Order: sequence, then structure tokens, then C-alpha cells
Amino acid sequence: MAKFLNAFRWKRRRMESDLDRELQYHLDRRIEDLIKTGLDETEARRRARIEFGGFSQAQEETRETWVWRWLDSLVGDVRYSIRSLSKSLTFTLGAGAVLALAIGANLAIFSVVNTVLIQPLAYPDAERIVSLETFWTNTGRADQDVSGPDFLDWQAQNNVFESMAHYGGEEGVAIVVGDRAEFANDMSVSTDFFTVFGQTASAGRLFTDRDVPTGGAPPTVAVVRHQWAESHFGSAEAAIGKTITDYNIQLRIVGVAAPGFSYPGVTDIWSPAPTSRSNRNASDYRVVGKLKAGVDLAQAKAQMQAIGDNLARQYPENRFKTAALIPLQDRLTGDVKVMLWLLLGAVVVVLLIACANIANLQLARSGARTREIALRAALGAGRGRVMRQLLTENCVLMGLATGAGLILASLLVDGLTTLSPADLPRLDEVRIDRTVLLFAVGLSLSSTLLFGLAPAINASRLDLWEALKRGGSKGATSGGDSRLRAMFVVAEVALSVILLVAAGLLLRSFQALQQADLGFTTERVLAAYTQYPVGSDEERRNRTAFYSDFLDRLRATPGVSSAAGAAFLPMGKEPRPARDYFIQGRPEGQPGERPKAEIQAITSDFFKTLEIPIRAGRDFERTDTLERPPVAVINETLARASFPGESPLGRFIRTNSKSPWIEIVGVVADARWQGPSQPTKPVIFFASTQGIGGSLSIFVRTSLDEKSLSGSLRTLLHEANPTVPVRFETMEELFSYSLAYPRFRTRLIGAFAAMAMLLAAVGVFSLLAYLVGQRTKELAIRRALGAKTIDVIRLVVGQGLRLVAIGLAVGLAGAITVARLLEKLLFGISPWDFNAYLGAIAALGIAAALAILLPAIRAAAVDPLIALRHD
Amino acid sequence: MIYSHVSKVEVISIYRLTRVNFMPPSRFPIPQGTLDMLILQILSLEPAHGYAIAQRLAQISRERVQVNQGSLYPALHRLEQKRWLKAEWRQSETGREAKFYSLTRAGRKQLAEEKESWNRLADAVRLIFNEGE
Repeated sequence: MAKFLNAFRWKRRRMESDLDRELQYHLDRRIEDLIKTGLDETEARRRARIEFGGFSQAQEETRETWVWRWLDSLVGDVRYSIRSLSKSLTFTLGAGAVLALAIGANLAIFSVVNTVLIQPLAYPDAERIVSLETFWTNTGRADQDVSGPDFLDWQAQNNVFESMAHYGGEEGVAIVVGDRAEFANDMSVSTDFFTVFGQTASAGRLFTDRDVPTGGAPPTVAVVRHQWAESHFGSAEAAIGKTITDYNIQLRIVGVAAPGFSYPGVTDIWSPAPTSRSNRNASDYRVVGKLKAGVDLAQAKAQMQAIGDNLARQYPENRFKTAALIPLQDRLTGDVKVMLWLLLGAVVVVLLIACANIANLQLARSGARTREIALRAALGAGRGRVMRQLLTENCVLMGLATGAGLILASLLVDGLTTLSPADLPRLDEVRIDRTVLLFAVGLSLSSTLLFGLAPAINASRLDLWEALKRGGSKGATSGGDSRLRAMFVVAEVALSVILLVAAGLLLRSFQALQQADLGFTTERVLAAYTQYPVGSDEERRNRTAFYSDFLDRLRATPGVSSAAGAAFLPMGKEPRPARDYFIQGRPEGQPGERPKAEIQAITSDFFKTLEIPIRAGRDFERTDTLERPPVAVINETLARASFPGESPLGRFIRTNSKSPWIEIVGVVADARWQGPSQPTKPVIFFASTQGIGGSLSIFVRTSLDEKSLSGSLRTLLHEANPTVPVRFETMEELFSYSLAYPRFRTRLIGAFAAMAMLLAAVGVFSLLAYLVGQRTKELAIRRALGAKTIDVIRLVVGQGLRLVAIGLAVGLAGAITVARLLEKLLFGISPWDFNAYLGAIAALGIAAALAILLPAIRAAAVDPLIALRHD
Repeated sequence: MIYSHVSKVEVISIYRLTRVNFMPPSRFPIPQGTLDMLILQILSLEPAHGYAIAQRLAQISRERVQVNQGSLYPALHRLEQKRWLKAEWRQSETGREAKFYSLTRAGRKQLAEEKESWNRLADAVRLIFNEGE
């Protein structure tokens, strides 16, 4: 490198001296010739010089033709830029910090967007993997759950898929590894499951058709997750041949998946499952498939829909069903797409405001640098040359800021992943990769143009004569210059208003979520998730007895005011698809048209523990056992929907057209069990003591601190049965978990809005301060002619208010447009929520007031004597 | 003021010299491409240095073509960069060393092509002018 540079310098020196000699020769020859025509030497020299034109100009223009010239001048420009930037250190540091912050925030958010939405899923040929779903033609909704016979027909009749597989299972299943009881995420999958994802085993083997159990027998083999194998057995190889007890079934580990593979979610154990051929109404499976290479999505969609339509004609159960395809990536990230693009949009706006600010500072600086630029122009620099110099300076500034921004982004990404909802898809993959770097380069180049071009053009258009003629140190500004600056400030204010309104809306919506009446209490309630796996009817009875016994002991514990069990945790932790229900004495209706209800199985005292009022009838009792006729409790929504104007008590209901009828004995108030943003749905409660539902989660209400109770609860449980694992959460935590996404986006947008507001205020402040500086003389004259302090203040404040008012008006107009995009994310408030807009205006107003007042006070402090003597 | 040693008059004269393309009165301005072609033509006769090229252009055109040095040298260097000309330092007729330019093979080819297309253009223009008369 040094060698190359030396050679470069040497060559350059030689070319320079050659050029000098060449031009000198020309001049000398001309002088000689002129002397020969009879002129004296002085006159000849003069004439030759005039004819020749600018010697240095000829030199300069010739140099411009040299190919490596651009490189040469670039080096010069960069060197000059660094010198000029380090000369105004305050500007450089301030602008650099603002840009670095904005760029850093952009890169951090973009790296999340990039990983989640842009980068293909981390499977071979991931773009060919799709989710196959049931599409309900009567409701127009796609439903991920597919029935076994449908799956088999889809698989047999298509020719667009390379492979197709189904999966289904549970999270938090109790398993025993060695002598330890613990929770694991367990999936039953069909043979081709790993083929769809193009997976190979990192040890052992994956499933073959022979692994699939037949005749209702349980599976005997399992494949486990790589990291799970390592944490349990030390290495993938060591896991092969080991046994896991899963639901009292012995599974031998025959294979370990490749590192990083854990679909769906974080699955620990996969076991092979046969496909049910019996019931087209039982939608038990989720289906994925890999398209053949070269088959496009539309073609596959058309074929699958044709197959689905055919089945709809063939089977009455399929009357309203057909098949739908959704790329797996869209299926996995569909829910967070809007939110992530919104965040990216917001953070780009922050960058825009930062750019407008820097552009403004540059304009102010170029005012002060007028003489420097004029002199450079006078010494032979062309207009393009001046512009290039200024742009290079901005590029150098931006380069530094981008470097700092990248470092900042890598820190922010860590913070962001901690802050973001734990179930944000692909969160663990988020990193700064080549795409992010490319984005960084693109972003910084475009922002450099954005904030650098206007000042550069402005400076290069400079009227040299005027600039040089003007003496004072104040530099020159034209009216156009400050108009441009005012426009920048208006844009800043407008953009920050949009962000403030968005933040206000999200905040109001978040408050509404927090204050929403859930219909049950979350205070001082501990939820303990347990798993009691059973294999036989006898064990099932034992389990019921175990929980009854355990709950009784718990109720006797000091500090416990009430305790109960329920099969499914609230707040989206254990959502269950709604099931069709039937009412005795009414027509069954067609599949797809039947009313649906959520199912919950609970013990007595559940309503008491969670403070859900009983509206009619009774709660379950200890006497509601397997030996007694089955009973159910419904919620008010179901009562309203199915029993308008009549009492549901004593009526019979069931959720399977073949099972026995169950008597409704009570009606309870509605509760938003799945979280505040979920509408209340019809719910049927069954008595877990009557053998419905599986393992229970225990809910304990206490007068003590919930967490302190967990120790004694664990001890009690361990004494009763050491193989039942338990996990604790307070209801407050569960509630908070359900607000993870709203909280995440509200916080981020709020932070961005605050940044935007601050930058806009700085923009207003710096423009006004600058204008006051420019008008010092004028203000002094006004003062001298008798203007009062208040007049001067009014002058500056008026100017500032005009800017802010225009920005506010433009911003509000923009906000109304943006608010419509937000509608989907809002809960309990309209996108035109008055308070949100008022809050935004107030926040901006306060910031703007400060930004206006400070320069106004400075203007008021102008001493006419000093100001007029100055200059 | 660091520039205070530069007097205003000086600054203005520098400004005039550089910003306004201070050309000696030429009979008519030569389009840039044309100048390149003329240089190639002059050099096709024999190698020459810059001053000689300017002289010869003026002589042959009976003073109708006069080239500004600010155009001549950039053009020469540009043609050299394009490898249509090569240059070497040689003793000139006055005994001093001067930079002599000569045509390369590529330069000859270029000249032939430019003459060809110039002639065609000139013919076409003439045809159109004659039509109007």
C-alpha cells in the first residue's frame, strides 16, 4: 500500500512538473515570436500573458483530464474535510451524535425487520415451504387446523408438492428424563415432517414410515432438539438410545435434529404419529408442505383450491371448506408485520428530522463559511468543485456517524431483543448481517444527499463578488437561504407531530388495555402450572383424587384465602380452538354454521378465587364427581347467544354430537380470559372432577405476597407427588405477558416520538437563535428608536410561532392519514381520539415554547449601544 | 482576517480571469470535438509540440482558427489519456526540450473515422442547404 502510494505520488509529481514545463515552453515561445515581430520584451511578455489566458487555469483544466485526477482530488477533499470538521468540533460532535443516534436506532430496528420479515426462514429452499390451511368459505377465514382425511386427500390428489406433512402437539408437557421430572415441548409429526424442512439428523436418524405406530399403539421412538440433547446428555451422539418418559410412554431417542432446528416454536421432542382417517370434523393437524421446484404459488393455490372444492362437493362435512396456501414465512410473521413496518417507519421519520436538522446547521455554517468558499472559488475552483468539496465533507461526517451508529445498533439490538415480546418470531436470529450493512450504506448515502445537497447547492450558487465585498464576520445570507431553513424547520415540526400523535394513540390504547375490565381479578393470585401425565383410566381417577386432595391441603395453608384448578391458563398462554356446541332439542345445523364456544375445565371455587360473579344457578361442587350426572356452567355471552329470553338452567348442552348431554347448572359473568384486547366469546365450563380436561393449573388467592407462597406450594406438591413438575406465575405477570406486544410498540414509538420532538425543538431553537444573531443590528436600532423589550420578544416569538403553527397544521393533517393505518393496533379508542391529539399538541407546544422563548430572551437582552458599536 | 494580504483589486482580477473564460478574440469558437479532430489532423502530418500545433492551426486556417491554451492543453492531455496520442520530450527547433505529440495507431484510426463522419455530415448539410436555394 505504502509502495503504491509512493509510486502514485512520484508519478503525480512528474506529471505536474512536465505540465509546468510544457506550458512554460509555450509561453516562452510566444514571447520570443512576439519579440521577433518588433515588440520590446516587457510588452511581449504582457501580450503573451494576456493571449495565454489564466496560466493556472490552463494548468488546472489540464489536470482535470488526468484519469486518476478524481482520486487525487478525493484524497484532497477528504483531507480538507477532516481538517474543516475538526476545526468546528462542536458542530461535528453535535451533528455526529444526532446522526449516529438516528442511524443506530434505524439499523437496530431494521435488523429486526430484516431477520423477521426479509431474510428467508433458515431452512433449505424456505421460499418453497407453505402452510396448508382449511379455508372456510362461509366465514371467509383461513384456519390452520386441518382434519386427517382432508390431509390425506390433499396429499394424494396434488402434483405440485414435493412433500407434505402434519404436526400437532403441546407445549409444557411433563416428561421424565432419567429420574428428573420436567416440562418439554412435544410434537407429534408425520413421517415427512423433516423432509419438508430439508433437515438431516446431526446424530442418529430421522423418521421413516416404519416408525409410525399402527393400530392405536403409542409411538416408541423420538427425535430431539440438538441443544436439548446437549444440555441433557452432553452431546448429540450421547443422546442416541436414551429413553424419555412422555405421558407414561417410553420413547427411545433415535435421532437428534440439526443444530438450530426447532420448528414449530421451540420443540424439544418430535415423535411419529399416524394420520387419523376417521373424522373430517376433527381438525387436529397443522399442515406444512414444500412445493416442487419451479411450481409457483398461484399455480399451487389454484390446484389445492380445486382439490378442496372437489372434496366440498363430495363430503357434507366439507361443504364450507376448501384448501388455502400461505407461505410459511407470512404465516409465522403475519401478526407482527404491521407492527414492525410501523416501527421502521417511525424510526426513519426520526432520521429524516435529524437530517433536516443537520441540513439547517449546515446552511447556518455555510453562511459563516461564505468567505472561505468564495475564496476557493476565486482561486480557480469551479462550481462543481465547491459542491463536491461540501458533499465530501458531509460524506466524511456521515461516515463517522454511520460507524458510530453501527456500534450503537449492535448494542441496541441486544436491548431490543430483551425488551421485545419473548414470542416474537425468530427473535434469537436477529443480528447485524450483510443486508443490514448494505442498508446502513444506502441509508447514510441517501441521508447525506438529503442533508448535504441543499446546503452544497446553496453555497456553490454564491455570488462571489457580493460575498467578498462584504466585510464583517457575520457572513452573508440571502432571503432564500432562511426561507429554505424555515421550510426545513416546518417539516421537522410536522413530522414530529405525526409521531407524537401515533405515540399518543398507542399510549391511550395501552392505557385502555391496562384498565380494561377483565371480569376477573389478577391481584394476589398465583398461578401454578402443573402436569400430571396419565396413561390409563385408573391413573386418570388417581389424578382427579390427587388434585382434590392437593387443593384441600392448599386451602388449609395459612395465608391462602381460596384455591382452585383450571385446565387452561389465561392470557393466550394456552389458547384452545373454539368447538362447535349443540343444545338438546334444537337442530344440529351444518358444520361451519354451528355456534362455537371455548371450553374450560375447572374445579369448584374457581369463580370464587378469581372473583367472577355467578349470575344464576350454582358453582361446581365437590359432589360433582364421575359417579354423578355431568354438569356444566356457561358464561353470559353464551346464554345471550343461545338462550335469549329464557333460562339456560336445566337445559342440556354438549360439544360432540355423540357424547352424553350435560346439564347446565349455572351462568357466570363474562371474563376476558384470553386478554383485554380479546372480545368475550361464549365459554362452557366443565367440572374437572368429572373426568374432563387434563392436568390442572392451580390458582391460589392469598393475603400474602404471591411469590412467597410459591415455596410452600412447591413443597406441598412435592410431598404429594414428586414426579409432578410445577411452574409459577402470578396473574399479574400473565396479564403483563398478554400486553407484551402493545407495551413493546408503545414504548418504542414513544421513544421515537420523544426523539423527534427533541430534534424538532432543537431545530426551531437553532433557526430562531440564528435569525436573532442575524438581526442583532436591526433589533438594536429598533431598541434605540424606542421599541420596548416586549416588542422585541413579540417579534421573535411571532416568527417562531408562525413556523410552529404551520408545522403543526401540516403535521396534524399527516397524522390523521397515519392514524388510519394504526387503527388495527388500537384498542378501546378510535384513531381520532381527541386526547391523543391534544396530548401531542401539548407536548409539542411545551417543547416549542422553550425553543422559542430562549432566543426571544436573548433578543430582548440586545444592548443597542454594544450592538451598534460592534462591526 | 487571514486573507487580508490579498487586496480586493487582486481578488477581483483573479476572479475575472478564472470565472469568465478569458479568451483572446478568436474568429469563431471551435466546438470541443472539432478541436480534437483538428489536433489529430495536424499531428498526422508530423509530430509536434503544443505551441507548434497552435501555430499551425492558425496558419493553415489563415488565422481563422485560434486556439486558447486553456482548451489546447486539456485536449492534448485528454487525447493522450485516450491513447490516441503519445508524447515524448525531445529537442525542439530552438534547442530547448519540448513535449512532442505524435499519433498512435489508434489515433490514426480515430482520425480516419472522424474525417469520414465529418465528410458525410458536411455532405448532408450541403445537400439540405442546396435544396433550400
